[in-house]
Amino acid sequence: MFKRIVLLAAALLTVFGLGSTQTTRAQTPTPGGTLVVAQNADISGFDPHTLPDFPTVRALGLIYETLVTVDSNLKLIPNLAESWKFSDDGLTLTLNLHKGVKFHSGDVFTSADVKYTLQRILDEKTKALVRSNFIDIKTVDTPDDNTVVLTLSKPNVSILTALANATAAILSAKSAGLDLKDKKNVNGTGAFKFESWEPSQRLVLAANKAYWQAGLPYLDKIEIRVIPEEASILAALRSGDVNFAVLNDPTVATTIKAGSGVTLQRVPALAYHVLQLNSTRKPFTDVRVRQALSCAIDRQQVLDTAALGEGQVTGPITIPLYRTPTDQLPCYKPDLAKAKSLLADAGLSGGFTFTVIAASQEPPTAVAEAQNVAAQLAPLGITMKIETMDLNAYVKRWLAPDFDAAIALNGGSPDPHLQFVRYWTSGGNLNKVAALSDPKYDDLLGKGQKEVDPQKRITIYQDFEKQLASDAPWVWLYVGYEYRAMQDSVKGYIATPLNSIAYLRQAYIQK
Amino acid sequence: MRALLSNRSAAIGTGISLVYLVLLILGTFSITPYPPTEQHPQKSDRLQPPGATYLMGSDQFGRDELSRVIRGSIYSLRVAVVSVTIAASLGALVGTLSGYVGGWFDSLMMRLVDVFFAFPAILLALAVVSALGPGANNAIPAIAIVYTPIFARVARAPVLTVKALDYITAARCLGVPSWRIVRFHVLPNTISPLLITISLALSWALLTEAGLSFLGLGPQPPEPSWGLMLKEGRNFIETAPWLSIFPGLAILFAVLGFNLLGDGLQELFDPRRNT
Amino acid sequence: MLRFLLQRFVTLIPTLVGISLLVFFVIRQIPGDAIAARLGGEAVADLTDQQLAEYRAYFGLDKPLTQQYIEWAFKIVRGDLGYSEVRREPVLIAIGKTYPVTLELTLVALFIALLIGLPIGIYSALNPNGRFDLLSRVLSLLGLSLPGFWLGTLIILVLSLFFHSAPNAGLFTSIIDNPLRNLGQIIFPAFTLGFAFSASVMRTTRAVMLDTLAQEYIRTARAKGLRERAVITQHGLRNGLIPIVTLIGIEMGYLLGGSVLIEEVFALPGLGRLIYNAITQRDYALVQGGVLFAAVNFVLINLLVDVLYTGIDPRIAHA
Repeated sequence: MFKRIVLLAAALLTVFGLGSTQTTRAQTPTPGGTLVVAQNADISGFDPHTLPDFPTVRALGLIYETLVTVDSNLKLIPNLAESWKFSDDGLTLTLNLHKGVKFHSGDVFTSADVKYTLQRILDEKTKALVRSNFIDIKTVDTPDDNTVVLTLSKPNVSILTALANATAAILSAKSAGLDLKDKKNVNGTGAFKFESWEPSQRLVLAANKAYWQAGLPYLDKIEIRVIPEEASILAALRSGDVNFAVLNDPTVATTIKAGSGVTLQRVPALAYHVLQLNSTRKPFTDVRVRQALSCAIDRQQVLDTAALGEGQVTGPITIPLYRTPTDQLPCYKPDLAKAKSLLADAGLSGGFTFTVIAASQEPPTAVAEAQNVAAQLAPLGITMKIETMDLNAYVKRWLAPDFDAAIALNGGSPDPHLQFVRYWTSGGNLNKVAALSDPKYDDLLGKGQKEVDPQKRITIYQDFEKQLASDAPWVWLYVGYEYRAMQDSVKGYIATPLNSIAYLRQAYIQK
Repeated sequence: MRALLSNRSAAIGTGISLVYLVLLILGTFSITPYPPTEQHPQKSDRLQPPGATYLMGSDQFGRDELSRVIRGSIYSLRVAVVSVTIAASLGALVGTLSGYVGGWFDSLMMRLVDVFFAFPAILLALAVVSALGPGANNAIPAIAIVYTPIFARVARAPVLTVKALDYITAARCLGVPSWRIVRFHVLPNTISPLLITISLALSWALLTEAGLSFLGLGPQPPEPSWGLMLKEGRNFIETAPWLSIFPGLAILFAVLGFNLLGDGLQELFDPRRNT
Repeated sequence: MLRFLLQRFVTLIPTLVGISLLVFFVIRQIPGDAIAARLGGEAVADLTDQQLAEYRAYFGLDKPLTQQYIEWAFKIVRGDLGYSEVRREPVLIAIGKTYPVTLELTLVALFIALLIGLPIGIYSALNPNGRFDLLSRVLSLLGLSLPGFWLGTLIILVLSLFFHSAPNAGLFTSIIDNPLRNLGQIIFPAFTLGFAFSASVMRTTRAVMLDTLAQEYIRTARAKGLRERAVITQHGLRNGLIPIVTLIGIEMGYLLGGSVLIEEVFALPGLGRLIYNAITQRDYALVQGGVLFAAVNFVLINLLVDVLYTGIDPRIAHA
């Protein structure tokens, strides 16, 4: 949920030119120069394993790299590991590392660094965000400098996707014992290295001249500035004070017009906008009431009014590969009559009143979504009161969980297991926020985690998705876009989802 | 009343205030072209510029901007009026008492007033509202707290002056009870500065409320207040400027009205200035 | 004089204690704490109870409130305002970086206010109820009535759309690095702030000039055949200075703390925005230190004004 949280981030392409990238490289790149990037909040520190907020993950994704990554179609592709293999029983994963990679400190990257990184993530004291994704790892062996063997306690297919998460970035073994929160100890393998940081103002990164992908990066420097208002970011782009920006708010992004000197790139996001119902509170304890809401709400209308149509209506699964077409999901065609009869069955034909919580700026569309949903529920006699608050207050209520309903933007992952496990298994750490558990869910998700056959895996998750849509513990609304806006002179950048701007390594400023 | 109308500022101020009173009545009973929170989600109704259907245009939900400006008056004006009433009564009480009693009580009260004075106003209001949680009425205590010290000072000064006058000393010597002295000699002297401050404080309170709403700490959507409407319209300032202009003008004229009224009162009570 | 100053300083102490109590306890009434602020919901859920306890200890949130206050107060007496966990630097350093911006903003705003307010105020007092007087009154009413954040937004829009200029593209240039660029960045927010202030300057000047011009000695001066210019500058303005200085003092104090919205709208890295962000991030040390600093600043400016008074008008007793 929110900007601050990422299940998985950073989509880097390994060997550039490889994969499904439609590179528009008609001219030869002009190397050199400083690219000024703007985002709406500052980084919160330098430890890539413990900081979940979007601005930090985005910036550190230029400095640190992961073993594997995903391409723009969310397919897993090599990065620091050039190949990998699961054993037939699914209990060992062997990774072959890329040779000739160096850290910014000059040390050569080896299997010892991978071992240290995984141990650090697994150590509870680190407070690593993705620790729970790796607890099935029993041992990490390093037969030679370029091979890592992970032995698992039980089959776990999603561990490879977990390695692609930017908050599982590879650190140098020499970092052991150092305070990684300190800017003095920043040391990755990425295309850019740390130069200086002025809090609330700017972070400056310099090109890594020894980068392992030959010829990259083109830019000499990247300067990431903090401009809190997205409207001001746009103004800065227009004036030329900023070359490249990350935008979240569709009402701002859509004011960019073609031919204005600023180009807008959209990538469908995996994070989903959702109306969470609290199934432990009356009247949502009754599945018919939840279904009534799901049937009554015209999701396209929420999208059109709150986000100006910028996105796509979605079911519980947001990953294109696994997604069920929404017309096959129950209640995705608005049906007021059905909603009314469901409410009548539940003994609530006169309607009822409940309160929804929404964070005032996270996401920027939250309050607008709540307002439209409220208007749509009014004809059923349902009064939905809106309570807006700042993010901190919201997070506290959301976690408790202390709400009848909540408007949220929850993080997506390219692997459905990683996206669902924390909410919908009875032992998941956010299961009480999901407020509903069911043995059926545990069963389906357990199967999905072990299934090695891709096609069968898709079927399992689609079954799960239909089950969720029908039980309607939440009303899934839509997925929006991630926006990157740049001046027309910025070339070579490829927009990828999952909050990454790592492709700036092959961007250049046309002279 | 006739005196009030004979002064140009006061007359215009009264006129504007009356217009807003009408708005307030219309808003309270939701007598508006459309219900103020009614959405018209069809594309042809959303973000429409001012025209025959929507006199002041419509917003992203197809809500009528005019209806929302009218309805918004009840939140913006109510918060201003109630909070200033509280601040004025409380401040006048503290100020008069403290000035009249004097001694350690006066010192204590004035130190307290200093504390609030030194605290940056908007930050204090911001912290108080954040603590109470946003809501239509939670801005009231926040703004009242911020402006009470001003009234305490305004009320205290004339008390000190009056207290030192010979006839009061005489009255005291004659054994006239304190409350009589306060009621018949002290209070009348504090009325005119208080009235002037009230009309000015109304305009400040309105601006503070707008600022708080602008930061999202006012009434909860979908109910409108002018500050909230400005906040909601901000990202549309290029594509739908009417969403920023009309609520902005509503605030501007309300503050203008209160200011003019204050000016008029000042001129009436202090004829020297009315050259 | 020295005794007067000393006296004023002693009365300052209870005020400061009051302010510190107020800020300390009010900020803690706001729901949500620094941990949620830093990590967000899904991440906090990933922490074990023990990790959460460690975090609380790290932020000093595990002790009773009164103890936290006393420890904080003792640190302040030693000149230590605490450490901002969000910015990862001492509070004093954070204030040191942002205060100059706000001070500059305030001073330029003040300058603009005087530039607009003084001449118009004087001129309209010379021709009361004339056409110019009417214009000045409309202008001053506008200044008092325009919401600053609204005016600021409009200015940014106009600059961006018609001049393709964004004076505050996220990176504030200090006056030492590049004075010209700095001026370009500070002038618009300063105008927004100064325009509102010019209204009070205009009105006070006008009122004071009307008062003094009606005095006997002015008539005498005129009768003596002094030129009008000399009458105004030598007699009128000098005597009208005291109320204007008072006003400037009060407004300076307010401007410093009250520039929050303007700094936010124009993205200036000033003290007001520093404190505002600290409130939303529950960065207690920074809120406490920042507000205390702003308050001390306000009090000191007022003290300075009092001292100036006695300089201008020796009749004022050191009471």
